[in-house]
Amino acid sequence: MLGKLLKYDFRSMGKQFAFIWPAALVLALLNRFTLGNIGNSDIVRELFSGVAMLVYVSILIALFVIALIFVIQRFYKGLLGDEGYLMHTLPVCPWQLIVSKAICALAASAVSVLVAVLSIILLVPGALSGMFDFWPRFFAALGREGFNGFLLLVELLLALLVSSLAGFFQLYLAMAIGHLFGKNRIALSVVAYIAIQTVLNTVLTVPLAVVGEWAGEQINRFLVETLAGNAWAVIHGGLWLLILGTAVIGAAFFFGTEYILRRKLNLE
Amino acid sequence: MSEQLMKTDELLVTCTALTKRYGSKTALSGVNLQLKRGRIVGLLGPNGSGKTTLIKLLCGLIQPTEGDIAIGGMPVGPGTKALVSYLPDRMYFADWMKASDLLDLFSDFYNDFDRTKAAAMCQSLGVVPSQRLKTMSKGTKEKVQLILVMARKASLYLLDEPIAGVDPAARDYILNTILTNYNEEGCVMISTHLISDIEQVLDEAIFLKEGQVVLHDSVDAIREREGRSVDALFREVFRTTGMEGGAF
Repeated sequence: MLGKLLKYDFRSMGKQFAFIWPAALVLALLNRFTLGNIGNSDIVRELFSGVAMLVYVSILIALFVIALIFVIQRFYKGLLGDEGYLMHTLPVCPWQLIVSKAICALAASAVSVLVAVLSIILLVPGALSGMFDFWPRFFAALGREGFNGFLLLVELLLALLVSSLAGFFQLYLAMAIGHLFGKNRIALSVVAYIAIQTVLNTVLTVPLAVVGEWAGEQINRFLVETLAGNAWAVIHGGLWLLILGTAVIGAAFFFGTEYILRRKLNLE
Repeated sequence: MSEQLMKTDELLVTCTALTKRYGSKTALSGVNLQLKRGRIVGLLGPNGSGKTTLIKLLCGLIQPTEGDIAIGGMPVGPGTKALVSYLPDRMYFADWMKASDLLDLFSDFYNDFDRTKAAAMCQSLGVVPSQRLKTMSKGTKEKVQLILVMARKASLYLLDEPIAGVDPAARDYILNTILTNYNEEGCVMISTHLISDIEQVLDEAIFLKEGQVVLHDSVDAIREREGRSVDALFREVFRTTGMEGGAF
């Protein structure tokens, strides 16, 4: 059933981004050829290239605004608005509805980032070859001194993935809480989001302070004792702690949302 | 044949002491209700009497404050949603969809959805499946939802005000579409306040007054006992509430 839900969520994603993704790439390519005209004595050519750059930057900003709106709206309108009358009468479990929205949100964000990177490669002549020069050196540097660059990359990507999902689930939980009220649901969703964030900050202050102090001590000790030798172990440990901690928080947001949609659904 | 007889008399829906409150307002209060297969049931009451609330509880779109619901012996969940075909009182389409996307969706999710029948119904009701829902008229969109709901061989059809807000000619084709397409082993529940239009098709009538079931009987028994039509009885039962229910 999850696969079937994803099929329709991806179709709606395709419709939403059908214009903006290609537009960003086409404008980047256009700017590649007009970029050289900035500073040109011909006022018309300079004006044209200036406008082209302005449009490209605007499209890039719009891309991320649209992606954020997409993440919020597909959940709010799709599950808690009128479309919810269709989605919540399908013979599926609430967790499948939420997971489908989250996977789609993740895909939309990832592709948007990829499109932005690709557009820069298209825009700046030599960017790609620059990258080809850069990466081998980067990896070579990472591979030095017994330090596992591949592991670090995996950890960073995992941290990005887990924190994105936790971020989506925080938005979902806030909207789920907001929809419990009869009136002012959007405003109350915003209030719920801020409240969750405040609680989170308060709850995390003590453990983070303790962990921070501990990590600081460890790093200091390692730096002093082994002259930067084993400091990486602390960094890896810290990253895993971050991944695990974010995963626990994200899971709490997810199960909170799931509970509300399963036991407290309130479509009026 | 005997198997079918058994099936059509089987208990399908049981509501026990069902209560729904919205804050301080009570929408349904202590409703006990049993529905059998093979019946067309009218859920009758003025606006605000709790008809939509009852139907949404049966669909799982809202949760009861107190009481229990069983459909086909199951509590409301994915299992009952596979049995229920629901026509809501509003449009539930996403902007981007064509009618054909919805037909795809229904065939993907409901095993009892008959795609061929749906295509035939589209043709006879003049719906173009490749048209985007956004560009359709309100009446056409309502036809699309009716097609989706009635092209299923469901156990329980919950039709929330299917004939409100349309002209009498449209009422006829909506009722006709329902009557010629529903699964005869299932139960059809139609909520409305326009009783005279549907009285002749009903087997049973439920009168809902201020969140309580004040009458649930077969239409024949009502007519025999009262010596008048359900519509006439309805007008009398609800006339006295005209003043009390001034807000409606």
